[in-house]
Amino acid sequence: MTPLLDVRDLVVRYGAATAVDGVSFQVRAGETVGLVGPSGCGKSSTAAAVLRLRRPHAGEVRFDGLELTALSERRLRAVRPRLQPVFQDPYGSLSPRRRIRAQIAEPLRVQGRWSRPAGPERVAELLDMVGLDPVLGERLPHELSGGQCQRAGIARALASAPELLVLDEPVSALDPSLRAGVLNLLLDLQDRLGLGYLFISHDMAAVRHLSDRVLTMRAGKIVT
Amino acid sequence: MRATLARAAGLVAVLTAAGLLPWLSGKDPALSLLRARSAEQEPTPEALAAVRADLGLDAGPLGLLGQWAGGLLRGDLGISWVSGTDVLPSVTAGLRVSLSLMGAALAVALLVGASLAAPVLVRGRGTAGTVAAVLAAVPEFLLALGLLIVAGVGLGWFPTSGWAGPRHLVLPALALGVPAGALLGRLVADALPSVLEERWVELWRGAGVGRVQVAAAAVRRVLPPLVPQFGMVVVGLTGGAVAVETVFAIPGLGRTALGAAKSQDLPLLQGTVLALLGFGLLVGAVCAAVRRRLLGPALRDAGLTLPAARPVRVPPAVPLALGAVLVVVIGWGLLREPFAVDTALRLSAPSAEHPLGTDALGRDVLARLGHGAASTVGTATAVCLLGYLIALAIGFLPNLASGLADIANAVPPVVAGILVAAATGPGTGAAALAVALVSWPPLASHAAALAQEVRASGFLMAQRAMGAGPLWILGRHVLPSVAAPVARHAVLRLPGIALALASLGFLGLGAQPPSPEWGLLLDESADYVERAPVAALAPSVALALLAALAVSLSGTPARGHTVPPRRRTTRATV
Repeated sequence: MTPLLDVRDLVVRYGAATAVDGVSFQVRAGETVGLVGPSGCGKSSTAAAVLRLRRPHAGEVRFDGLELTALSERRLRAVRPRLQPVFQDPYGSLSPRRRIRAQIAEPLRVQGRWSRPAGPERVAELLDMVGLDPVLGERLPHELSGGQCQRAGIARALASAPELLVLDEPVSALDPSLRAGVLNLLLDLQDRLGLGYLFISHDMAAVRHLSDRVLTMRAGKIVT
Repeated sequence: MRATLARAAGLVAVLTAAGLLPWLSGKDPALSLLRARSAEQEPTPEALAAVRADLGLDAGPLGLLGQWAGGLLRGDLGISWVSGTDVLPSVTAGLRVSLSLMGAALAVALLVGASLAAPVLVRGRGTAGTVAAVLAAVPEFLLALGLLIVAGVGLGWFPTSGWAGPRHLVLPALALGVPAGALLGRLVADALPSVLEERWVELWRGAGVGRVQVAAAAVRRVLPPLVPQFGMVVVGLTGGAVAVETVFAIPGLGRTALGAAKSQDLPLLQGTVLALLGFGLLVGAVCAAVRRRLLGPALRDAGLTLPAARPVRVPPAVPLALGAVLVVVIGWGLLREPFAVDTALRLSAPSAEHPLGTDALGRDVLARLGHGAASTVGTATAVCLLGYLIALAIGFLPNLASGLADIANAVPPVVAGILVAAATGPGTGAAALAVALVSWPPLASHAAALAQEVRASGFLMAQRAMGAGPLWILGRHVLPSVAAPVARHAVLRLPGIALALASLGFLGLGAQPPSPEWGLLLDESADYVERAPVAALAPSVALALLAALAVSLSGTPARGHTVPPRRRTTRATV
């Protein structure tokens, strides 16, 4: 069986500096792979390269057998919904100007899957799935707590019906009392939807709690 | 280095425009030159052809440009079309006069600036104050006229026109130097309080370093990042010099350039504009050198930035009150008839029938003030809109924007006005075009900064990740985040643009009689100031109110927010 995500010899450079230096790993469907390491070791650069938000300098990123690094931006757009990010900053990852409901609906509109009444029903379903009160859908991001914003960000990612979530420090910006709630939500969603997770964090405890396998990065390389 | 290249490119672009003026204007300069040289000669085709041949106009636009550029390399600026004499001596003579004037003005400016910044330095807090802010916004021509009328004509302390000795220098230097000094003082005074709150100050004081040494160090800390802005102030002096030299009839470079533009003496215009821009570029280069000297070679451009300045916080009531006064006067004037001539009532004092008196043709001053404001505000709005659209279009191309902005920044509005008026003939449209051409850079840099901020934010990453195309991202997210704040910024610049238009009107480069444009109104009424002081005072006060409005608007909190308020805490607590 081919793995969902197969990364081989990935290299990411910023000018002369090499952030990711030949990283290889795999994520199977429904599996959680933790990626840990100190700040600046290249975890987030790896995530950006996997999502093709940054073009890697060398190496391969195969998603479900499809080589992403070779695809043009236009061809890539058809694949993008299948792997979605969740970012660290709960406020920064939502537009400050638009209501939560509209932002969760945006993937449906962008991907041409919006219709009435199915669209609004799907948004309501997504809000319910991440444990947000429907009333909160009418709010702007700055009217929500950090935990609620992060749930909205997860709902937006799920709107694309992904098979893999790239979770880049999804709970590090949250108050410790809220972290468990979001982590349990992620576990619950994985059970229900069979999602694969690439879980990036510098918090060993959180990673152990969630992951099937843990990789450690240091200075751009995977050391274990 | 890039800035130097951009300035050189700007100089070439402006000079090419100047060199192509006869071709750009689309009119035949032969006719106007024939008139200028001998009024009684009939404009027969033979006479016009003779003038054309004499000027070498038959060579075509590119030929003319080539001839001029070739002469320039040999140090030959050509021959004046009107007087028939060499251009170079006129330019050097004018330059000598203008340099003395600007030198004196710079001395005044440094004194004013130092006296504004000193109290803040001693107290360690506060600002340069509202008076400084208003002085910095008052256009030079208004101050020049005020000084001329009060200290020159009224009190008779100083000569009011000509150029014959140090006493002639006093009033023009004040008119040119005080606004520049107020601006310098404000820049320093606004930057000082946050510098004095930096931790090293506390440390030095705790270690027993004397107050004088701390103050000196704070000044040294403030100056380097401000030096480029000082350069801009000095470049602005070249524009102000045109107005001041005109008011005081000083035979300087600015007045020569203005005269050349009005009489279509293009070789002289090219020579004077070259000298004005060359001076501006030299100042820019000197400032860059001073900055390098102050910072040392090790520090890169962005290496030493100042903490954010906290400008004067003006309560919103102030601009509201100023605006209300202007609106009442303008509204009242709009209800009256501005063009009705009544020669029996020439230059009458204020009365119940004419609340602000009448002008030299017996027209109601209040009516003209109101109608003039309507057309000025209309024009200024159009200019603002044009600048806004340019800014939005260019703001998304940061590299192009910075190069073009350097060019636009090196040209004061008055010099742009002279060039445009020479190409199209003076008029409201020409003035509007000139101001629009040089007023967009602050808006464009604001738009560029906002667009950059939005593009870097996490939610745009999410947009790309969900498969949104560039057009969707631009139209749905970037443009809405940029358009609204830049529009607010553009509205705030409206009074300043109206003042620039009034400056051009005052110099005869903008609206033409009988239009009641404010600058023109002031120019016309200034001749009769002794007989009808109110007629001259009314537009002056209106312009001063406009300047105060410009300043108080820029101080209101609205400008501080570049993006909608958003929690920036990395650690959410709720």
